[in-house]
Amino acid sequence: MSPAGCSHVNGYKVDNWKQNLRVIYQCFVWSGTAETRRRKAKSCICHMCGAHLNRLHSCLYCVFFGCFTKKHIHEHAKNKRHNLAIDLLYGGIYCFVCQDYVYDKDMEQIAKEEQRKAWKLQAFETRPSRLYSLESTGIGEKYTTWEPTKRELELLRHNPKRRKITTNCTIGLRGLINLGNTCFMNCIVQALTHTPLLRDFFLSDRHKCEMQSNSCLVCEMSQLFQEFYSGHRSPHIPFRLLHLVWTHARHLAGYEQQDAHEFLIAALDVLHRHCKGDTIHDNGKKANNPNHCNCIIDQIFTGGLQSDVTCQVCHGVSTTIDPFWDISLDLPGSSTPFWPLSPGGDGSTVNGESHLSGSTTLTDCLRRFTRPEHLGSSAKIKCGGCHSYQESTKQLTMKKLPIVACFHLKRFEHSAKLRRKITTYVSFPLELDMTPFMASSKESRMNGQYQQTVDVLNNDNKYSLFAVVNHQGTLESGHYTSFIRQHKDQWFKCDDAIITKASIKDVLDSEGYLLFYHKQFLEYE
Amino acid sequence: MSNEGRMRATVNQKLTEMGERERLKELLRAKLTECGWKDQMKAHCKEVIKDKGLEHVTVEDLVAEITPIGRALVPDSVKKELFHRIKAFLAQHA
Repeated sequence: MSPAGCSHVNGYKVDNWKQNLRVIYQCFVWSGTAETRRRKAKSCICHMCGAHLNRLHSCLYCVFFGCFTKKHIHEHAKNKRHNLAIDLLYGGIYCFVCQDYVYDKDMEQIAKEEQRKAWKLQAFETRPSRLYSLESTGIGEKYTTWEPTKRELELLRHNPKRRKITTNCTIGLRGLINLGNTCFMNCIVQALTHTPLLRDFFLSDRHKCEMQSNSCLVCEMSQLFQEFYSGHRSPHIPFRLLHLVWTHARHLAGYEQQDAHEFLIAALDVLHRHCKGDTIHDNGKKANNPNHCNCIIDQIFTGGLQSDVTCQVCHGVSTTIDPFWDISLDLPGSSTPFWPLSPGGDGSTVNGESHLSGSTTLTDCLRRFTRPEHLGSSAKIKCGGCHSYQESTKQLTMKKLPIVACFHLKRFEHSAKLRRKITTYVSFPLELDMTPFMASSKESRMNGQYQQTVDVLNNDNKYSLFAVVNHQGTLESGHYTSFIRQHKDQWFKCDDAIITKASIKDVLDSEGYLLFYHKQFLEYE
Repeated sequence: MSNEGRMRATVNQKLTEMGERERLKELLRAKLTECGWKDQMKAHCKEVIKDKGLEHVTVEDLVAEITPIGRALVPDSVKKELFHRIKAFLAQHA
């Protein structure tokens, strides 16, 4: 059907038709305010049978609502010779003469505007206290398909080369030259360049640099992404990145082997500090909390760890929530005892991991991390309720999960007595459900609710593995490699400049040092 | 109107008045997109259009052909979730 509508529509476009049409959209199709909604709820029923389903339509020439399915609106059209009706569900205009929906450019324009207006109103209404936030709440921004601007069309014409992404294309994969024990940096770079949200941020050029000098690490990351997605298959030489890292994180400078985990935290920290130009300003909020900015690093990596200290005498709980970028997990075999997991711990298997010949699982480590811990008589806490020093228990749980969760298995022991690497095999799953370790789950358990039926439908805590960093060798001399996931289930091993295809079994059988998980479902806030 | 029809109308009124109907619609839209239902329907529509010919197909043709398929293909989990949401809402506001 052509966008010029049909000739019968032109018969409607007289006098004040635009305003009349707008009113119909506002009142009966997309009601934005409570008042219009009330009116809609009361009056939008078929004038012949009273039903509100059956694809209700409104006559455009008079006040008549009729079912489409039961042909009530058709009868009205025939009797009154009112040839146009509007679908109250989707806002489409139906012409009874042409016997189909017609698309008139002017009417479509009005429809689009009214829909957008109604969405904005609804967003304001559901949470009026967030009036100043740039992100609308409630249902959120209405999704509209992308229409290129003139400038974008120009750019597309000037750059005719197109890259097709198929399921087995290797775009985004590139080796990295080792510049002298820099494998610790290379594997983190591989993990970061394959973090989907980070990749999207940089490939859509969202970084606006506010640094005067040439030493912005975020700009360098942006360059790195360009290199990785350029299609070049030769390994990239990250000398500029290395230099910037040495400049901003002095403790990592030098040619000796460094810890990949330390590098990850240092890199995230520098990126977070250099992201100042990109933060979305929540009026008033930024001034109060310089540590809680909204940069891309915080959006992706920052989670909240809740620490509850319970006084053993008065049972008062003191809660603090600290931000975190990674979770460091103790392993069996270290000098701190691992088993039992909790006083009277439950033996249920979470996340379907099998305890093959008693091997430890990631979930075991997480349960140990979130178990209540007696702080002992030598570490008494000043209790606000008792006003004296008392013994207490401390428990960590996840308050807010980050979009990308990084688990650090503490394989390098640097205690006073010894320095060694713990090579205990820890099995980790491809899919991880963090629900048992959430603060909310702990609260439910404490309130006696053991079965959470609604949580089965809650997908917010489900994660998928997308990168693994491994360390081979000893504390003195070792080598880092990484596995990263491409597309849905293709894995590749990155050993500095050498990229090879890997099987899921290779990945899951590996020792594991840093495990990167990505949320499966992303909700708008 | 039957008793059931009257109850339906009352529930619908309540949902519409409080704006919950719109929210549920958006939730449903998101769920159906996530599970691939929307893409399946799109594919079916393309087939119908191919069958009837682009110049002659009407919205009615499409509606008639894909409504039964669409209804059958909605996953149970989505139905359950919507049902729970409506139940919870009515419990809160009835």
